[in-house]
Amino acid sequence: MSSLSVSRLMMLTVLALALGLGVSMLVGSGTVLSLLTQATIYAVFALGVGLLLRQNGMVSFGHALYFGSAGYIVAIALQTHAMAAEWAILVAVLGLTLFGFVIGLVIVRVPGVAFGMLTLAVGQMAYLTASRSRGLTGGADGMSVEWPNTLFGVSSNLLFKPASLMLISWTVLVLLLLGLALGLRGRFGAITEAARDNEERARFIGIQTLVPRAAVYALSAGVTAVAGVLAALNTGFVSPEALHWSLSGVALMMVVVGGTRVLWGPALGAAIYFLAKDVLGDHAQHWMAIFGTALIVVIVFAPEGLSGLLNRLLGLKPSGGAGHAGSASAHH
Amino acid sequence: MLIHIFNGLVYGALLIVMCSGLALIYGLRRVVNFAHGSLYMLGAYLGYSVALQSNFWVALLVAPAIMAALGVALDRWGFRLLQDRDPLSVVLVTFGLLLVIEDMVQTVWGKSNLSVPAPAALQFSVDLLGTPVPAYRIGVIAVGAAVALGLTMWLRLSRAGLFVRAASTDPVTTAMQGVNTDALSAFVVGLGTALAGLAGVVAAPFLSLSPSMSADVIIDSFVVVVVGGLGSLAGAFIAAMVLGLVQALGAVWMPDTSVMLPFLLMVGILLFKPAGLAGSRT
Repeated sequence: MSSLSVSRLMMLTVLALALGLGVSMLVGSGTVLSLLTQATIYAVFALGVGLLLRQNGMVSFGHALYFGSAGYIVAIALQTHAMAAEWAILVAVLGLTLFGFVIGLVIVRVPGVAFGMLTLAVGQMAYLTASRSRGLTGGADGMSVEWPNTLFGVSSNLLFKPASLMLISWTVLVLLLLGLALGLRGRFGAITEAARDNEERARFIGIQTLVPRAAVYALSAGVTAVAGVLAALNTGFVSPEALHWSLSGVALMMVVVGGTRVLWGPALGAAIYFLAKDVLGDHAQHWMAIFGTALIVVIVFAPEGLSGLLNRLLGLKPSGGAGHAGSASAHH
Repeated sequence: MLIHIFNGLVYGALLIVMCSGLALIYGLRRVVNFAHGSLYMLGAYLGYSVALQSNFWVALLVAPAIMAALGVALDRWGFRLLQDRDPLSVVLVTFGLLLVIEDMVQTVWGKSNLSVPAPAALQFSVDLLGTPVPAYRIGVIAVGAAVALGLTMWLRLSRAGLFVRAASTDPVTTAMQGVNTDALSAFVVGLGTALAGLAGVVAAPFLSLSPSMSADVIIDSFVVVVVGGLGSLAGAFIAAMVLGLVQALGAVWMPDTSVMLPFLLMVGILLFKPAGLAGSRT
C-alpha cells in the first residue's frame, strides 16, 4: 500500500493532471506529442500487467489478448453500426473485465510458471484466430476503426489533434493510478497481498482467496482493455499484431524494468522504454538485444526495478507493495 | 490420409528432439527455458552457415556441438548463479535471453527467409503403401526415434543417467550423496541446448529459416511439455507425437479451427490434470 495520505494523493493527482494540461498546451511538435501519447498508452498497458504481478504475484505472457481485443471490439461494433461509439468503448472495457473475471476464476488456480505458459498459449490462440479470420476483421491486414464525427460530445476535429490525444491518454493514466491507489488501500488490497504471499496461510485464517484473486485478474484485464481503446483512438486501426505475444512481452519488460513495488513503477518502465527507443535513434533496430540485456541486468542486480531503486536512493520508506517479479510465487 | 499421418509423425519427431531438451533442463534446474525456441533457431542458422561452407552432414555435427558449449556456459554463468532465485525471475531472465538471441540472429543472417537443401544422399522418394514420401522426412522420424531411445537408455541404464534421475527428484539429497550436481547440471543443460540445436539443423531442410520460426516452435513445445507433464521425458515423447498428429489431421478435417486444437489441449490439461498425462515426478 502506498504510505501516502489521501490528501497528498489528491494533491499529486491534481498536480499530475495540471502537468498533462501544461505539456499538451506548450509542446508544439506533433512528433513529440505522439511519442508522449504512445508512451502514455503503453504505460496504461503496463499498469494492467503490473497490477497482476503486484497483487497476485502472477506473470502474464498473454495480456496483449485484452489490449488487442478491446480495439477489435470497438472496431467491429462501429463497422457493423451495432451501437454508438461511446457504448462500444464501455462494452469493450466492461465486457473484457467481466470476461477476465470468469476466465480468472479458472486460471488463477494454475500456479507460477505454468500460468505464464498458459497465458502465452491463450494469447497466441487469439492472435492466430484474428490473423486467419477473413471478412469483417480483415485477417492479417487488420481493420480500421471508423470513429464517428463526435465522441462524448467532442467533435473529431478537436479530439484527434495530437495534443488532445496526449491529454486524454495522460488524464486516463492519472485517474487510473488514483483509482487503483485508493482501491488497493482497503481490505481488498490487504486480502490479495496476503493471498499472494502465502495463499495457504491466508486460507487458514479464513480468507476466501479465489474471488479476490480472480478480481485482480479482471481488474488487470480491464486496465489493459482501456489501453487498447486508447490505442484504437490514437491510431484508428487495429491488427492482429496488437494481440501478438511479443507485445505482451514488451509490456512485461516495462513492468519488470520499472518495478512493481510502487504502483507507478510499470508506467515508469513504459516511459523509459520509449525514451530509450527515441534516444537510441538508429540503433533502435537493435532494441530487442538492448532491452533484453537491460531486462536481465535489472532482474539480477535490481530485482525491485528502477522505481524501487529510485525510492531507495531518495530514501523513501519502502511501501509494502509486491516485491520483485514474484517473490510471491516462491511458495507455489 | 496416410501422407497426413506421416507428416504428423515427422513434426512429432521434431518436437521430441526439442522437448526432450526442454524437459531435461526443467528436470535439473527447474527452469522453464523461454529461450529454448531461440536456441533452436540459432542452431538452425548455424547449421545453415556451416552447410554453406561444407555440407549438411558436417552441419549436423558442428552446430549442435557449438550449441552444447553455449549451453554449458549458460548453466555455469546463468542458471547456476540464479538457482536460489524464485522460478519466475529465472523465467524472465530466459525471456531476456530470447530477445537477445532473436536480435543477434536477425542482425547476422537478416530477416528474409533462407532455405537449406536436403542432403543429396536423401533426395529421393520412398514408396510408403502407395504414397511417395521424401526420404529426408523418414530421416527426421529416425532422428526423433534415436533421440527418444538414446535418452531413455542413457537415463535408465547408465550411472550418469541414474544421477540425473536422482537430481531431478531431489537435488539436495543427491548432492549430499556425493554427486557433483553442478557439473551434472552443466552437462545436462549443455545436452538440452545441443538437442535444441540438433532440432534446428534437422528442421532446416523442411521448414524454412525465418526469424519467426522460434515463436511457432516454442509455443508448440510448451504445449507438449505441459500436456506430457513438466520434466517428464516419457510424457513429452507421447505428447509430442499426439500434438504432431493432431495438427496434421486437424489441418485436414477442420482447417478453420485446427490452429486452436493444441491450445485447447493445453488448457484442458492444465485445468483438469495439472501434473500432465504422465504425472509429474516431483
